[in-house]
Amino acid sequence: MPANWSYVIAAYGIAAVALLGYWRRLASRRRALTARRAPNARPT
Amino acid sequence: MTRVLGWLAALGLLAGLAAGFGYAPREVVQGNVQRIMYLHVPSVLTAYLAFGLVLLGSIAYLATRRPGWDRLAGSAGEIGVLFTGLTIVSGSIWGKPTWGTWWTWDARLTSTAVLFFIYVGYLMLRSLIEDPDTRARYAAVVGILGAVNIPIVHFSVKWWRALHQPSTLLGPGPSPIDPAIGLALFVNWIAFTLLFAYFLSRRMEIARLEEQT
Repeated sequence: MPANWSYVIAAYGIAAVALLGYWRRLASRRRALTARRAPNARPT
Repeated sequence: MTRVLGWLAALGLLAGLAAGFGYAPREVVQGNVQRIMYLHVPSVLTAYLAFGLVLLGSIAYLATRRPGWDRLAGSAGEIGVLFTGLTIVSGSIWGKPTWGTWWTWDARLTSTAVLFFIYVGYLMLRSLIEDPDTRARYAAVVGILGAVNIPIVHFSVKWWRALHQPSTLLGPGPSPIDPAIGLALFVNWIAFTLLFAYFLSRRMEIARLEEQT
């Protein structure tokens, strides 16, 4: 059986991109919602 | 708490990589490509957990009408789709050198693809309905019906003749896995569960903020 490292690297690489991408999406969504709430929180 | 979970997940993933690539031996028959298992199996177990929580949140929402249960179901559903996608992609990449094909309409692969599309539909349904109560009610029904496919995915390799190997972890009897490979798999499973808990905590916080704005 050949080493097949390229398949292993592809699988882990895609997983890393997907998980990091989702983590960044959550972080940016949270920042956007917090920023939208902040002006509402101030007394007028 | 969420931050602690994030750090624990990061440390767990590093430990998982070390276990999968450093500690676990090279598998005799498949060679190094078997190391995809440390990604593939924890991904599907995490997806099972996520969709189990969708079922729990859906039943609890219909019983109590508390929005927190709907937040749990919706958040877990989104993360479950992510991990099911990873399961399908990593399995496909693993399948090419071992089975000679990226994809085959095998019972396990087909039922997993159906599972993926059921919960993509679940998320689409949630995004299409604006009224929170109606959305939560309809989504809860789909969340309960969709869970029927989870045992079908798991037992498909027993019920039908399949190219995919039978369950070795959640199957009956003692696991035939080499202890070193089993330990590496266990470490990665814990890491993925921690990562799921971290994502779920963050996603539920976002859902709560969305309701308030």
